[in-house]
Amino acid sequence: MPETLLHVSKVYKSYGKSAVPSLAGIDFTIAKGEIVGIFGPNGAGKTTLISILCSILEPTLGSVVYHLEGEKSPREIRNKLGFVPQDFSFFPELTAKQNLSYFGNLYNLKKEDLEQKIDDLLQKVGLFHVKNQKVSTFSGGMKRRLNLIISLLHDPSVLFLDEPTVGVDVQSKIAIMSLLQELNRQGTTIIYTSHHLKEAEEFCNQIILIDHGKIIASETLTNLLREHEVGNLEELILKLTGTLLRD
Amino acid sequence: MRKLKASIWKEILLVLHDKVGLLLMYLMPLLLVFIITIVQNSAFQIVNENKLTVLISNRDNGPLGDSLVKALVYSGSFDIKQNNKLSESAVKRTTIDEDAMLGIYIPSNFSERLASNADNISKLMLEQMGVIEEAPRVTPKKQEIAIYFDPVVQENFRISVNNGIQAITNGIENEEMVGKLFQEMGYDSIPSNIRQAIINRETKLKIANASLSDVAELIPNSSQHNVPAWSIFAMFFMVISLGGNIVKERLSGSFLRLQTIPKGFALTLVSKFLVYLFVALSQLLLLFLMGIYIFPHIGLPQLAMPNAFLPFLVVTLLSALSAISYAVLVGTYAKTQEQANGFGAISIIIFAAIGGIWVPNFVMPDYMQAIGNISPLKWCLEGYYTLFLKNGAWSELIGTITFLFLFTVICQILIFIKLRIQNYI
Repeated sequence: MPETLLHVSKVYKSYGKSAVPSLAGIDFTIAKGEIVGIFGPNGAGKTTLISILCSILEPTLGSVVYHLEGEKSPREIRNKLGFVPQDFSFFPELTAKQNLSYFGNLYNLKKEDLEQKIDDLLQKVGLFHVKNQKVSTFSGGMKRRLNLIISLLHDPSVLFLDEPTVGVDVQSKIAIMSLLQELNRQGTTIIYTSHHLKEAEEFCNQIILIDHGKIIASETLTNLLREHEVGNLEELILKLTGTLLRD
Repeated sequence: MRKLKASIWKEILLVLHDKVGLLLMYLMPLLLVFIITIVQNSAFQIVNENKLTVLISNRDNGPLGDSLVKALVYSGSFDIKQNNKLSESAVKRTTIDEDAMLGIYIPSNFSERLASNADNISKLMLEQMGVIEEAPRVTPKKQEIAIYFDPVVQENFRISVNNGIQAITNGIENEEMVGKLFQEMGYDSIPSNIRQAIINRETKLKIANASLSDVAELIPNSSQHNVPAWSIFAMFFMVISLGGNIVKERLSGSFLRLQTIPKGFALTLVSKFLVYLFVALSQLLLLFLMGIYIFPHIGLPQLAMPNAFLPFLVVTLLSALSAISYAVLVGTYAKTQEQANGFGAISIIIFAAIGGIWVPNFVMPDYMQAIGNISPLKWCLEGYYTLFLKNGAWSELIGTITFLFLFTVICQILIFIKLRIQNYI
């Protein structure tokens, strides 16, 4: 029986006076070491859910409980979470090394360890040779790779990724996915959203499909495809959420 | 501590990379202070130190026209160009061609009319004193000296020139009147002791600046006015750099990442405050050093620092904190960088205008002075004028300190509310 990492119970989230909640009673459990894909149409509540899971937002109701060894306080738990936003969340005026050094220090990493970590990560994503170049001079793929490794500086136990490969070339995409698979082999749990469904099919071993703030399917991909008698993830999403355009 | 150091270092790097921001924060105020002080100082010198070129046509048939011209020369304020061939209309036309600030036309009957009036008044006085039985009743004839100003000459300058010429003609008229009085009493001319007494009769005016303290007087001049005023403007103009910087980081997603790092967001805000506090204080230091050490070398008055150092430090710190808080407030509420830059710049220009940075507050209508009270720049300027011009100290700074403190607190509360709503803190 795999060890539980995260238990989400009856999570509701509504903004202001809006009558329709963004999340309307979400329940699920994630085991350690899984790669979980969260999918759904635009406005389904994916971003709100991920924001709650990585403690950017607080749920209106319900609870999110992490079972991390030795980590009890919210601050200790936060230190074990990594978040890769869809937007480039770094400073383009600074060099890659200056960006990594700044965020690494915010995680309170020791100077020697941090320098070593920065070099290792830059090597892994092929940015070592441009570490002292301003990020504003980087291509989209290079920026995407930097965006990813900033979140890996503190060796998070759980990594949240929001569209990590959007707008990148195939080479950068392979580099990013290879690194994520390597991290997962080392024990990192990955929770991920993407509109690249083919990539997600190959990458994820658990699928959570949400629509209108509710979970409409949660299982392994193989089981879901068999249960709903469809051939792939795209057909599954269309079958369960319909073809109506969403705002 | 390492987290704070890293945050501060990141902010320093961002400030150093923001070339436009640096130019706006350091070069623009230097140029503003430099240019406006020179311009105001030149205007001051034109009025107070340089001689004004005056074109005069004296067509008077008697001696008093010459007396008037001599009195104008003697006053030392005018550089006289005399051409008695010019008619009144020619004076009007030629004043600008001759590079004169004003043209004066003395009519041919100037002495005659002035003597006639003096004669009438002296006879009326003698009649009143019972020396003569009945003075002839003659309607006084008005003197008409025509003065034509170069159209560029401003109204307040015209008034002071008019008053000066009026005072000189009054003096001539008085002397003529006293002369007539003595003539009626049988004297050939005014006795020398009385003439001397008339010359010495002028009231001596002791002119000095009002001061709130008895310590060494600070002399008001263009440097004392402009260096503090434009330093305040420069501090508040950091809204372009700091406000824009906050919007950019928020929109880029950096703030989002910081939310996932314990204390990350709070540290970023604290380090921004500290770095921009240093920027504001260094702006002031730079401008004050220029006023103290460079101005005297280029013929401008040296900036004299206030005697009350601690109150000066407190007003400076509160001014800087107000400026930073306002910039962060604009950056927090603006939806785009363009909005932050546009609104920030325009609001500071309006605050500067109603706060008396360009035109002194006291010359504005009452309602504008009342509106000016909402401008933080007005209170910063009030504080600096109290220190730099009036030699004031704590008791005179209560209003300034209270307003700036409250302004800073209100901005901080509004920032907190917005960031709380957006879940950043």
